Amino acid sequence: MSEGTAREQAIDRFVGSNGPYYRRAFKTIGERKGYVPSFNVAAFLLGPIWLSGRRIWSAFWPFLIADLLAVVIIAYALSGGDSVDLAARANQLEDLAARRQVEAQDASAQNAASNLAKSLSRSATALQQAAADARETAEQAQADTWLFTAMGVGLLAASRLLQGAFSNHLAERRFRAWRLEGDAAKGGFSLPSAAAAAVLLAVLVPTVLLSFADRTLFQAVPSDPTWNSRAAEWLDGLIAAISFAVRPAAIGLTAGISAVLGLMENALTATPWPVVMALILAVAWQLAGFRVFLLTFVAISYLALLGYWEKSMQTVALLGTAAFISIAIGIPLGVLCGYNKRVAAFIRPLLDFMQTMPAFVYLIPVIALFGIGKPSGIIATIIFGIPPVVRLTALGIANVPPSVREAAIAFGASRLFLLLKVDLPTAAPSIMAGVSQTILMCLSMVVIAALIGAKGLGEDVLHALQYAAQGQGLLAGLAILVCAIVLDRIVQGRGRPSH
Amino acid sequence: MIELEDLWKVFGTDEQAVLREARRSLPDQEILKRHRAVIGVAGAQLSVGHGELLCIMGLSGSGKSTLVRLINRLLEPSAGRVRIDGQDIIQLGNKALRELRSTRIGMVFQSHALIDHLSIRDNVALPLEIRGVARTQREDRADELLAHVGLTGLGDGRVRALSGGMQQRVGLARALAADPDILLMDEPFSALDPLIRHDLQTQFMALSADLRKTTVFVTHDVEEAFRIADRVVLMRAGRIVQIGTPQQLLDQPADDYVARFMGHTNPAYREKKQPLEARENA
Repeated sequence: MSEGTAREQAIDRFVGSNGPYYRRAFKTIGERKGYVPSFNVAAFLLGPIWLSGRRIWSAFWPFLIADLLAVVIIAYALSGGDSVDLAARANQLEDLAARRQVEAQDASAQNAASNLAKSLSRSATALQQAAADARETAEQAQADTWLFTAMGVGLLAASRLLQGAFSNHLAERRFRAWRLEGDAAKGGFSLPSAAAAAVLLAVLVPTVLLSFADRTLFQAVPSDPTWNSRAAEWLDGLIAAISFAVRPAAIGLTAGISAVLGLMENALTATPWPVVMALILAVAWQLAGFRVFLLTFVAISYLALLGYWEKSMQTVALLGTAAFISIAIGIPLGVLCGYNKRVAAFIRPLLDFMQTMPAFVYLIPVIALFGIGKPSGIIATIIFGIPPVVRLTALGIANVPPSVREAAIAFGASRLFLLLKVDLPTAAPSIMAGVSQTILMCLSMVVIAALIGAKGLGEDVLHALQYAAQGQGLLAGLAILVCAIVLDRIVQGRGRPSH
Repeated sequence: MIELEDLWKVFGTDEQAVLREARRSLPDQEILKRHRAVIGVAGAQLSVGHGELLCIMGLSGSGKSTLVRLINRLLEPSAGRVRIDGQDIIQLGNKALRELRSTRIGMVFQSHALIDHLSIRDNVALPLEIRGVARTQREDRADELLAHVGLTGLGDGRVRALSGGMQQRVGLARALAADPDILLMDEPFSALDPLIRHDLQTQFMALSADLRKTTVFVTHDVEEAFRIADRVVLMRAGRIVQIGTPQQLLDQPADDYVARFMGHTNPAYREKKQPLEARENA
């Protein structure tokens, strides 16, 4: 066993037993480029158990699922397939038809010419026809079960053939990883792992068979609706308590947001429209260059000519307020996260939660706390929009080279100096990326914000949705898209040379 | 004049406990593993005279960079005293410490540690900006210093555009900007290629002979120490093994380790420096 090249000896150590077989197999595989046929009979026969024993988990789970799926299909087909349900339905219909027939006969016995008797007999005929159709379909399905059986068997065969054909290759790849890292946990054949896989199969396969032998066995998932309603009630109480407790703060916050929003809205809508347009065009040119200027011109023309100007300015005011507040809170929060790992560990899951939670879900507590209207829309928008700026600010601050900070400290820099002159400027590109993403996230919320009373383009889309007005909906949606593109280009263009 | 008295630095959560055990006896691996601590500097006793250039030598991990960072309290010592002209700087409050750093101590780092988004001139002027010197004044001073280190007229450029050697000159100019009387240099030339290193050493020697700053210079290069040092401190595993002139360490090594360390240098390349007194008389 210990003879041969270093590679061959390593193979012996890696596989544990059956060294000569794997020496030959790995040699064949290594000899040519591309796929070299090499069939492992043990893997073909044992399937997932073999993969588990070799601890090749990335292949184990897919093949285990494939095997189980095949078993499910076969069991389903053998237990009658669709025909069981269809036959049950046919029986039901036949019963019903028979009963209706009896009723019809009774009715006609009383009064053969009555409408009731006629309609009952018509109904009975129709039901008989339906029952006959259902019976036919069921029989057809019964006849088709062999197809399902064949599919299941085919899947099982294909899965196992693949395992046999690729197992040696997987083992060889694992062998190379094992050599590289010297990780003992990757070598050899683990009997406990194989046994665990075997037990898993021994539990799952009979369960599948049993459930198809008696289809009523696992029909209902054990659940208790009272738990659900009790938990919901408890949450109702909690939200009510919170909203009562923070009412003064909520009122203050709403007032603050309304003030900022009012300012923005006034600036954008009360100023004569030619002035606003000219300013936007000038800013686009200055910050992002001629091409973005042209784009902005086209966009503004679209908004103005199709009558979306007023509404798009409302939307921009709403979004601007949300983005402004997001950035005003987000950058300091991000700086804090960048400095303090503990704060970051606390904030990060919160941000994940805010980004993953569907907006409709947190609309409910937002309405409970802040009522319906623009401020609520803005708060919902902030919840969705703030994560990127926090994350990217934190990333930028955390990525400031420690040596640079150390140097500044060595020359007597205070914390404030470090923050303003070293950290923030160094992190600026990352922070700007966060700001731009936050603005776009905010824009993507306008339709949802419209649901709770925020006016603007979102409202138009919402109306179009309610009345299935496709043309209107598309035009308004396009207006939102146009706003997004222009804002994004202008913000992205910042800092780029403007020629 | 810098004096270090029984200075300790332990890295880890349980500083004081490790310190107590380490003071009782030499800490073995077990103590360190138990506390998951690393001893950076163990009981350093040292004084650096006015205008003296002291080299701290040792291998990676011997604690030389840690020792130099204890002098300006970039790292807080676990125990001991650091005196600068008699004043115990461990006792200094935040503000006084910043004042000391910005007026009396200049530092040069191995990794340059220059700020990317500032111009070369603004980088040199950084210590003055921290001190609150007016813009025009500090820019003039920065240009003057850039000329001093052979980078005349390059102040407007970006740091990134410079070569490694030039960046290190900027670092040196920055350290000198506030006209400190103490220079701390943490392997300033180690990352440079040999020719440029030699050039920079030569230039630095000329500059330092001119300016007479009290200098603590960290290096692992015996030849470099021979060229520039008045005295040498050899460290091993956080402890000071021997202090003396380079020649003393070569001729009378305190132990085998010193002998071996000093042995890794080619005598032919050893340029001896004139003793401090001789230079002062000249």
